[in-house]
Amino acid sequence: MTAGQRAAGRSGPSALRPVAVNLLGVVEQPAFGDSPYRVDRDGRPYVPVGDGGIVLGLQLGDSVYGLAGDHAAPGACLVHPDPASRHALASYACIGNPVRVRTGAAVGAAGVVLGQRGEAGRVIVGLGQSDLGRIRPGDEVAVRACGQGFRPPGLPADVQIMNLDPALLDRLPVQLPDEADGAGAPVTVGVRMSVPSRLAGNGIGRPAVAWDLDLQLAPPGPGELLLGDLVAVADIDARYNVGYRRGWVTVGVVGHGASPLPGHGPGITPILTGPAAALRVAADPAGHVGLTGAMVQLQ
Amino acid sequence: MNVTTNAARLVRQVLAGEVWPALADRHAYRVGPDGQPFLLPGMGGVTLGVHCGDPATGYASDHLEPGASVRHRDSGANMALQFLTCVGNEVRVASGPAAGAVGHVIGQHAYVLADFAEAAAADLTAGDAVTVLALGQGLALAEHPAVVVKNLDPGLLARMPGGSRPDGRLEVHVAARVPAEAIGAGAGMVSEYANTDLMGAYQGLGEDLSLGLEGLRIGDVVALADADHRYGRGYRAGYLTIGVISTGQCMLFGHGPGPSTLLSGPAEAFCLVDDPDANLASWLHPQAAVAEPGGERPGAAIPGRAR
Repeated sequence: MTAGQRAAGRSGPSALRPVAVNLLGVVEQPAFGDSPYRVDRDGRPYVPVGDGGIVLGLQLGDSVYGLAGDHAAPGACLVHPDPASRHALASYACIGNPVRVRTGAAVGAAGVVLGQRGEAGRVIVGLGQSDLGRIRPGDEVAVRACGQGFRPPGLPADVQIMNLDPALLDRLPVQLPDEADGAGAPVTVGVRMSVPSRLAGNGIGRPAVAWDLDLQLAPPGPGELLLGDLVAVADIDARYNVGYRRGWVTVGVVGHGASPLPGHGPGITPILTGPAAALRVAADPAGHVGLTGAMVQLQ
Repeated sequence: MNVTTNAARLVRQVLAGEVWPALADRHAYRVGPDGQPFLLPGMGGVTLGVHCGDPATGYASDHLEPGASVRHRDSGANMALQFLTCVGNEVRVASGPAAGAVGHVIGQHAYVLADFAEAAAADLTAGDAVTVLALGQGLALAEHPAVVVKNLDPGLLARMPGGSRPDGRLEVHVAARVPAEAIGAGAGMVSEYANTDLMGAYQGLGEDLSLGLEGLRIGDVVALADADHRYGRGYRAGYLTIGVISTGQCMLFGHGPGPSTLLSGPAEAFCLVDDPDANLASWLHPQAAVAEPGGERPGAAIPGRAR
């Protein structure tokens, strides 16, 4: 038995009810330093477009390689002017959490959390395209954050779930074992692809409840990858920071598009992590359906 | 290293820094790979008793930074210090009881890391001013245009074994070879700042965490497989990065002993020679670098051009 397996019993109580908290997010405006340029993986300078803020015309189901952007996300990024509040927003917000615009021209518009981004912290929210066209940076958005601490009945003891609204779990391609499967039965997750840990980039060594994990998949990548897809990363344990652990697997939802930066790429928000024997992934490169706009009523 | 460089055309700058205190917050604990809470020293301040050539792991420490950890109080001036300082640069203590002591830069880790002889380090503490003779950014190897040089003092390059081979490759001696699976925190960052944490070196923890890197030493020159650090730090099959282990033991998951970047390019541009003596201690032993105040600057004897 490994130390990781010994510690798995600490991975979280299952009988406790998750708590929802209303948080305030502010629609972000992208920020630059004195120079407009970044340097891409081939040494060419470029101007990053779509790295935070509001991105129009990009939706769940679109290719991560479709736009000439940098970390472009399908919707708007929320932040908070106070750094500690911003970290809390990114940590507590979970995929599937409902959001509502509270100020500005789109007041009352409803949306949903689609993912998160790390470092200073951002929450990616999807809104209808007409609503996205009416919000502006600085608008306030309420986030009903719920999901951290959630454990569904039947989840194998050494599998950890995170960053997921409890109401969304049943709609994703996640098959929990039932009593008939017997003790020790695994949870099975459908994914677009499984990638080796050496492709895990920015986000390694960071807390998976607050950061995404960039996959170093330079265009055109190993195959089509869509925003909202579920992807597995082999030999990655995301329970306590993200790091290498042989025999484990981490599954996340693709929340933003590709990046020209070395060490960066399409990012997943981790939702499940555990030993490969308890967290089985079934890759379907052609037929996989992950998180869709219809699933969260964005269309 | 027997190689033609542009060292004679590089610009040397005098930079000010300050030994920076260790930092903590009121919640104290961080979390290890198996969920174990820990509170361990290693980052910031002056870390004693660990120098180039010593084991990198095996300490009750997190992000062990050998010697003095140096920053500048002004954020812009600090980034200049972090970006322009190179491995092998001379560092002179400018205030306090250790004033005049001379050490060398062994890497970056969001601090400039300066190794001093133990006796000098014992008299150093947070707040002491240090002066860095920054030299090396812009260094290029005329016969190896595909190899990008970073963070490397030309005097140190001259002392390293290897160099241009008749077949056109650059011979580099390395103490260890690191698989791409080991690359941890630091991926995606610029390669002139901080370092690349290596996972798989958590001595004393589970075998499922090991990538066989527990034998690394501080100062080891290592080769990172499939790593392209020319314009930042990323995975690229068929590329190679040479670095020097500048930090040691970590308990924080996804972190570990870290190399600062020295050379990066296509793997076929390099000829690696496995050499257990490929360590900064072979060329920059701090015991030999202690100078009396006002004495001759030890670095003056280092040739700026290898041949």
